[in-house]
Amino acid sequence: MGYRDVAKVGLGGPVGSGKTALVKRLVPELVDEGYDVGVIANDIMTQEDADVFRESFADLLPEDLVEGVETGACPHTGIREDPSMNLAAIDEFTERHPDLDVVLIESGGDNLAATFNPELADYFLFVISVAEGEDIPRKRGPGVTQADLLVVNKTDLAPHVDADLDVIEADAGEVRGDDPFVFTNCKDGSGVGSVLEHVEREVLFV
Amino acid sequence: MSTDPQSFLTALRLSDSFLPVGGYTASYGLEQYLNEDRIEDGDDLQALLAAYLRRVVGPCETVALANAHGASTAADLETLLAVDERLHAVTMPQEFRESSTKAGAKLCELLGETAAESGPEGGTDLESAFADTVASDDTPGHYPVVFGVVAERRGLSRLEACLAHAYSFITGLLGAAQRLGRFGHTEIQSVLEALGPTIAETCERHVDDEVTAMASFAPLAEIMGMRHERAGRRLFMS
Repeated sequence: MGYRDVAKVGLGGPVGSGKTALVKRLVPELVDEGYDVGVIANDIMTQEDADVFRESFADLLPEDLVEGVETGACPHTGIREDPSMNLAAIDEFTERHPDLDVVLIESGGDNLAATFNPELADYFLFVISVAEGEDIPRKRGPGVTQADLLVVNKTDLAPHVDADLDVIEADAGEVRGDDPFVFTNCKDGSGVGSVLEHVEREVLFV
Repeated sequence: MSTDPQSFLTALRLSDSFLPVGGYTASYGLEQYLNEDRIEDGDDLQALLAAYLRRVVGPCETVALANAHGASTAADLETLLAVDERLHAVTMPQEFRESSTKAGAKLCELLGETAAESGPEGGTDLESAFADTVASDDTPGHYPVVFGVVAERRGLSRLEACLAHAYSFITGLLGAAQRLGRFGHTEIQSVLEALGPTIAETCERHVDDEVTAMASFAPLAEIMGMRHERAGRRLFMS
């Protein structure tokens, strides 16, 4: 067993877009569906952050299936050019838990340029927030255009930040062509079911 | 080949992406190839980079570098300026010229400052004279030309200097490809390994060429470089 034997889902996106919130929503849903799930957080400043994750998932996941990976202040490198430390963490997961089904890998916050190394993530989600500005999709960052699924989060904030969801929808459709995107509000959970459907269909082959 | 430890360290330093001369901002048209979906996998990438080596890096940049190295050995500023001018003339896309001259100027500045601090072994008369000419905009100061001078002044043989440059050119573009496309790190390293013989062969073929032989013939790469100027998505300067 090693990292090649388990489904790996990457979650990238800018700081504060809701990557952690989405992980917190997805993990219970996946566990409910009967999957054995592991979580890796690259978005950490200290191991204390990973402890917070362990606490959040205390009733859901074994403690040793939550790991923080420090990326030497280079979050892009850790998930793209040299994902070896993330892959090593996944190898440890699979050694300890041979029945592991899926690992969620949350990247450090980025500036729309982060993409996942295809050897690290079989499927990757890019999470943006409407509060970052309605022009984010049309900037065509590699994260936005290349992700397998674009997640536009915090839709509830749109009226408060003068962001027009219709504009975001039209731009996202244009820059992504036939590739999918979904709107979510991780605060109340709306849209998360759709994300889960994509992940299950594309990665877990349900 | 030299086994002088200090020269070997210089070769490593000059071919390392850690060298802060902005190499990571250049894609030499590669971004446009990806923008237009002309590269889909590692095989496409390898074929393209092999073509860059044979059509641009070898007959153009390596010839410039080798002749700059020779001019440096002879302490011949006039010939050095002629090499620089010719490289400028044969580099068609504006952004290719800009990426090269910006990096060249930065390498001059960097070594000027660090050599001054490290004592008499660093900066030399010809290097300083060329750096001054670059700084005063009296010569373009292309990267391979500056590279040739600093490598020669620090003891690298002509072939070693050409190899270090060609290698860093290729790893620079592989890094760009990885940031722009979806290539795994193992796949990228496989391409690099497969290109090793082409890097060596290209440098050996052109290391003794006369400056008058300097030319590039890569029309599609040049068109990509020119289209990149008006590209809708630009993450790189070239």
